[in-house]
Amino acid sequence: MIHLGFPAALVALLAGIGVYGVLARRNAVLVLIGVELILNAANLLLVTAGSRAGAPLSAGPVLTLFVITIAAAEITVALAIILVLFRRSGNIDLTAVPDLSDDEDEPTDTDVQPAMDRAPAREGAP
Amino acid sequence: MSWIVRMVVVLPALAGLLGLLARRQRAVASAVAISVSAYVTVLGLIQWIAPSRSADIDTLGRLPLGDLAVPLHLLSDRVSGLVSFVVALVVLAIQVFTAWYLRDDPRYGQFAATVSLFASGMLLVVQSADLVLMLVGWEIMGWCSWLLIGHDSERPAARRAAYKAFLVTRVADIGMVVGIVALAARAHSTDLFAVLTATGEPALLTIGLVGVAIGVAGKSGLVPFHDWLPDAMEGPTPASALIHAATMVAAGTYVVARLFPLYAGHDGARTLLAVLAAVTMVYAALLAFAQTDLKRLLAYSTLSQIAVMLAALAAAPAPTPTDPRVGPGIAHLIGHAFFKALLFLGAGWLSVLTGATAIAALRGRLRRTGALRWSMGIGLAALAGVPPLIGFFTKDTVIDAALEGTGAGARIVVVALFVTVVLTAAYCTRAWLLLDTPVAATAPAPDDETAIVAEEDVAVVTAADSADDAEVERVHAHGHEPITLPAAFVVSVLAALTVVGTLFLSSLRGAVHVGLVGALLSVLLVAGAALAVWVLSDRGRSDVAERLPVSVRESAVRGFGADTAYAGFARAVTALARLVVVLDRDVVDAYPRATAAVARGAGRVGERSHRAVPSMSLLGLLCGVVLVAVLGVAAWR
Amino acid sequence: MTTRDIVFVAVGAVTALSALLSVTTKHVVHAALWLLVSLGSLAGAYLVLGQELVGLVQLLVYVGAIVVLVLFALMLTRAPIGPHAEIDTPAWQRVAGAVLGAATTILLASLLLPLFFGARADLDTAESLTPQVAQAIFGTWVWPFELLSVLLLVALIGAFAVSRLVLTREEAPTVRVTTHPSALADATQPAGERP
Repeated sequence: MIHLGFPAALVALLAGIGVYGVLARRNAVLVLIGVELILNAANLLLVTAGSRAGAPLSAGPVLTLFVITIAAAEITVALAIILVLFRRSGNIDLTAVPDLSDDEDEPTDTDVQPAMDRAPAREGAP
Repeated sequence: MSWIVRMVVVLPALAGLLGLLARRQRAVASAVAISVSAYVTVLGLIQWIAPSRSADIDTLGRLPLGDLAVPLHLLSDRVSGLVSFVVALVVLAIQVFTAWYLRDDPRYGQFAATVSLFASGMLLVVQSADLVLMLVGWEIMGWCSWLLIGHDSERPAARRAAYKAFLVTRVADIGMVVGIVALAARAHSTDLFAVLTATGEPALLTIGLVGVAIGVAGKSGLVPFHDWLPDAMEGPTPASALIHAATMVAAGTYVVARLFPLYAGHDGARTLLAVLAAVTMVYAALLAFAQTDLKRLLAYSTLSQIAVMLAALAAAPAPTPTDPRVGPGIAHLIGHAFFKALLFLGAGWLSVLTGATAIAALRGRLRRTGALRWSMGIGLAALAGVPPLIGFFTKDTVIDAALEGTGAGARIVVVALFVTVVLTAAYCTRAWLLLDTPVAATAPAPDDETAIVAEEDVAVVTAADSADDAEVERVHAHGHEPITLPAAFVVSVLAALTVVGTLFLSSLRGAVHVGLVGALLSVLLVAGAALAVWVLSDRGRSDVAERLPVSVRESAVRGFGADTAYAGFARAVTALARLVVVLDRDVVDAYPRATAAVARGAGRVGERSHRAVPSMSLLGLLCGVVLVAVLGVAAWR
Repeated sequence: MTTRDIVFVAVGAVTALSALLSVTTKHVVHAALWLLVSLGSLAGAYLVLGQELVGLVQLLVYVGAIVVLVLFALMLTRAPIGPHAEIDTPAWQRVAGAVLGAATTILLASLLLPLFFGARADLDTAESLTPQVAQAIFGTWVWPFELLSVLLLVALIGAFAVSRLVLTREEAPTVRVTTHPSALADATQPAGERP
């Protein structure tokens, strides 16, 4: 026997922590960690709901498995995008003003705060 | 019978179209114009003398307009038969005269075609038994008058005169259209007989009659709208003859005659018409006395005579079943058509001979011209109302009808008529004395004297001298082309008609009805006025108008500033329109446009604040998600 | 409060604590490692809840694959080793994040706790044991399951395509050399005027 109130509380906690993680980080990979936490909160909610008596079609665990699979696909694509972003602009700082222009000039860094993810080669350039 | 009535309207229009297509071939154009005019004249004669009278002649069939019946019928009775015959006759005379007068004009073809179309419009007004058809003819005439007056379109004065005529009559046509709509709404039909027999709704009747009276005042040149007519002298002389003699200005009289049973039963509209006509006839006769240009003098006399026709209708007693009481007005219309066409064609002939229309340049030039001298003399005598001529009979019929009439309008009209008789006789005598008295009688060197007087008078003439210039240019272009036999013949025929035309009127009931007292009085007045002018002008050796103060005379030549008043009125209307535009754009539209401006500004602010920073977007997104979730949960609870 | 409850509370506390650490630590790599702990203990929570299959898949996929991918991404983007002050957004944004996170927690708690308060799961006679889950997957849910395999394939190809995007920016310097001002000046200057 287990009381389902505890997992529900954990769901709420994990989701809140995930939201904070999304908003408190400027590194894109760390933002992704927050997203993962929110996803896991959803998973836990599915499992919790599936554990109630009379849950039909084993929907809780099955959907959890599906979500895990989708999360794997999602994080693959997200990491590919992050790598492209890094190759293009030299950093993955989400607070930086992005260079949305299509021209091939160097990005102007005048209004970008120095970011921790800046490429060392560019920082060391004369 | 009905095909004749239809052909009378349709043929001139077709001739206009054909003449326009054949405008390059001068001979073809003039042959089409003259032959069709002649044929239409024959048809008009048949329509007049044929015994059968028919109404409800179908044209295009009934217009499907729901409750409003628009039968588009034509009508043939004594009045329309006689008037259309006279119109066709005058148009024929003018077409023959034009073929000579505009012999060297490169745009003769267009002119002749326009005259044909103009005739078609007038004949449509005459034949129509439907207010819509009447309005169509009315508008065709308005448009053609613009074309004809502006024929010499390379001259700014002609263009201005054309626009002035068009705009002034157009403003008055607002009243015409409103009036016709009101009458049709009252009768639920545009058919003339339905309109005449409809009953009830006095407010609509008043609006309709007053509106039509205003429209008539515009086309016929009653007082507030009179000033376009003298300026219309900028057109070639045949165009002036056409507009003045039988068509455009007379159309107003004809329309009022058609609607006479309604006017006879409505004192307000009738008194308005009587006052306008009385004022116009006296005022225009006074101005005619002071003119320095022969064509402008004739133009003012036209204004005066048209007012006489309308006064006959405004003052005539109520119609009885046996006597429609429109006879005097129509009779004067026809008489005036004859002698005014004669006078204008004679003036055109004289201007070609002398190369001018200013009276100072024409002094004494009539003496050695033979047939022309006789024609002008008959025309001026008819205008003055000398007994055996048609002008005497028709004018005294009008006076008689006014004496029989009752009410304030009739009394005003009677007084104005007698004053007008005196003034008309005076200016006709003055014109005749100036044109006919040899200059040699006053000065040893006539040519020098003429030149000096011309120079002096050109300073006075101002507005008239441009018309004079046009004639000079035309004459130089002609190289003093001698008059052709047909052109001289039509002038003589018109002179003959002026003498014997009274016989025409015998077919019309009440058209010739001369009271003994009125006739005696008017003959005495005419004789007295002529004698006074003869004496005052030193037996024709000087211009009696020179006895007027120079300032009065100058402003009389300019029409006492009516032109300035029109321009001021137009400017005021334009300013008002601009004000409305400004109000509409900057006040009414301000609210819708302000929302657009605010939305655009908000968008710009948002665009500037949104710098596509991903973390800010995430923050906003999650804020929204939480907010929506809170709202959703709150609503769900 | 049963034994399972106590165990769940313990595992849940570890999960929540490590999740909190993973979003607040100043070490970039530590964040990924704390995520590892959090997801692993969440797998333990699944076990406590009686879902062995889900717990194991969680371990395999999340702990084994996803966290490793995250670590790889951090290395490829040259994440610094050691504490770094600038991995966080400005303070006001973090405060806003905390407020929003707390709001999310309160909202979910206020929604979920009344739903699940007093609800119990009798795990000794559980209906969704592994055989039942397997039967459900390959019976009721077989079409979504097959679709998921297609999704994985698409994601694989998509990630490959995205990472191979042609970046024109890297070719810019070669262009610029040819249009150097001095080179242009040399080219346009007439030969006779050279010193």
